[in-house]
Amino acid sequence: MSRDQILANLRTSLASNRSWLEKEASAAPHAAPPFVHPPAANLVAQFSAELAKLEGRTYPVADAEEALEVIGRLLDEREARQVIAWDLEQIDLSGLPALLAARGVSVLDARVHGAARKERLQTLEPVSVCLSGVDCAIAESGTLVLRHGPGRPRLASLLAPTHIAVAHRSQLVRGLGEALAFLRERYGAALFDPTSHLTFISGPSRTADIEMTLSLGIHGPPEVHVVVL
Amino acid sequence: MSTHSLHFFDRVDTALHDETLRTALNRATARFVGNRSGAIGALSDADTLRDQARAIRAHALSRLDELLVRLAERVEARGGRVCWASDGEEARRYIAELARSRGVRSIVKSKSMASEEIHLNEALERAGVEVVETDLGEYIIQIAGETPSHIIAPAIHKTREQISALFEQHLGMPPTTEVPPMIRAARQALRQRFLRADMGISGVNFGIADEGAVVIVENEGNARLTTSVPRIHVAIMGIERIVERLEDLGVMLQVLARSATGQKLSVYTSIISGPARPGEADGPEEFHLVLLDNGRSQILGGQYAEALMCIRCGACLNACPVYQSIGGHAYGGVYSGPIGAILTPLLQPDLPDNYLLPYASSLCGACQEVCPVRIAIPDLLLRLRADAVRAGKFHPIEKPAIQSYAAMMNNPALYRVGGKFARLGTRLLRRKGRIRRLPPPLHLWTRGRDFPALPAQTFSEWWEERERQRHNG
Ligand code: SF4
Repeated sequence: MSRDQILANLRTSLASNRSWLEKEASAAPHAAPPFVHPPAANLVAQFSAELAKLEGRTYPVADAEEALEVIGRLLDEREARQVIAWDLEQIDLSGLPALLAARGVSVLDARVHGAARKERLQTLEPVSVCLSGVDCAIAESGTLVLRHGPGRPRLASLLAPTHIAVAHRSQLVRGLGEALAFLRERYGAALFDPTSHLTFISGPSRTADIEMTLSLGIHGPPEVHVVVL
Repeated sequence: MSTHSLHFFDRVDTALHDETLRTALNRATARFVGNRSGAIGALSDADTLRDQARAIRAHALSRLDELLVRLAERVEARGGRVCWASDGEEARRYIAELARSRGVRSIVKSKSMASEEIHLNEALERAGVEVVETDLGEYIIQIAGETPSHIIAPAIHKTREQISALFEQHLGMPPTTEVPPMIRAARQALRQRFLRADMGISGVNFGIADEGAVVIVENEGNARLTTSVPRIHVAIMGIERIVERLEDLGVMLQVLARSATGQKLSVYTSIISGPARPGEADGPEEFHLVLLDNGRSQILGGQYAEALMCIRCGACLNACPVYQSIGGHAYGGVYSGPIGAILTPLLQPDLPDNYLLPYASSLCGACQEVCPVRIAIPDLLLRLRADAVRAGKFHPIEKPAIQSYAAMMNNPALYRVGGKFARLGTRLLRRKGRIRRLPPPLHLWTRGRDFPALPAQTFSEWWEERERQRHNG
């Protein structure tokens, strides 16, 4: 069987090179640094500056009311009637269901599986806005961390041309190392039990494949808006 | 145009005479080099981070057997399936059979070097399945019928006019020289391919043994769509591309994105562990992980094991003066540039002029300088050259040439006479101080490079004269 053959080859190979590799492995510590840039005092400002470099926008707001105002405006500007979203109670912004209801915006059923998969995808395709929360956000790289799972469709940050994410100041961490440590602390070994999918999003979809010209939105959302309260 | 049937020297010639390619290469590599050094330079402690990256990769390789078993067991425990493929044939057969048994008619693919290594697309197309590359650059070269010229920017050799013509022909887009309409046309066309696809095939940047997960980084979102939308996700991973823990990403992703494109992190990093769980809203119902050996388990035991630390960032390509001049196609294999000159002879030993690739280097060391895992690339290239010579692979002219060189260097009188002739000869041949073509057999050397005319006076003559003057004066 190929498995056994491959493993046997590996073991033979390691018999000659393992000690060299182990020496190389012990030449430096493995633990990731919590962050890799000089830390900023104001994480919201740092996050927002980093996201701006990536052509994404941050809206620091004082309270839920102001957050709802921003989201309402973004929805109106895009004349959104339908959104692909996380279950609203997972987004952690009181008043969000009422805001959507008042505007007549419906949250589409984003359950995509089984025989209805392709049909459901075609229904979701014309939608202009995705709406999600985050698990945490990384200040030094302008990154959103989204753990998907029940009530948190991965398509709700991917399919539509605009992605609006709601984050809380308490969810900001300094660097990637800190974000990974946070996920571990919060979910332990069960990180991937209820979900198969974790995504880090740093700004809008981009490509430079045509003559090295930067273009946004080739596949994922060309617009990323993050409301931080 | 495919240049793969040509001999290495002819491929180099073709590349060197392609003005469009050279301009694009210069522009792209200069940009990548600048972005990388900016991003690495901005780090608080880049040197430590690179040492850590190397240590983490070395650790994973030192327990590769154990980690692969752990990865496979955990993928299976989450409802995924694992195929251990000794070679390309086994991987192709598994995927083609999977497509057949599931009634798959169309496949979307995100970038995967491993799948190119095993020529997967051709095999699937032969089996009657439609395969669409969805990374924009890969898509462009797919419809142009070509192969990638750069690990990170596969279509840099194409001008916007050429791309517009391709889109006009394949997507019915009106001709344009503007990039945004081209992006919109590609987004629209490819989006429908995603929504209709039955299977998505992706590569893997890192497997994580402890989590039974794979990590895929990208900027466009095509890999997210490939792994989220279709009913079946197949991930192909070279067996060496593994780390032990999720936390290792805190080092690896930092150096990968910065070395590749100068980004702090790629736009999207997806960490995927098996198929969608019950209760999840979306995601694939089936997940298959193909673990591709294809010679790697043997390489691990030899003097080139270090090459397996590579994380395919492409930094060594951009830094290489040879790559900057000839581009990726000339290397003839899937992997190009300095690391390609090592990997191709090892992974695709059947390519006939492979042994020449390690000579496509001036051994300047720029590759090792930028490598995020500090692979001693020039050293490995030298060893491959020595291997080739030992195996009797060299041009018939080289042996007598080196022998006469050795004889000359060992005999001062002969050296002086030889030097006189060489100087006289080069001065007769020179145009504006340079020689474009040396007479046979030395013309082999001037294919693609100029030879400087030798100065009228040799160093030893100059030295003798200087000493004479000193003593007299
Ligand atoms: S050899 Fe080093 S620099 Fe080159 S692609 Fe691999 S990791 Fe990057």
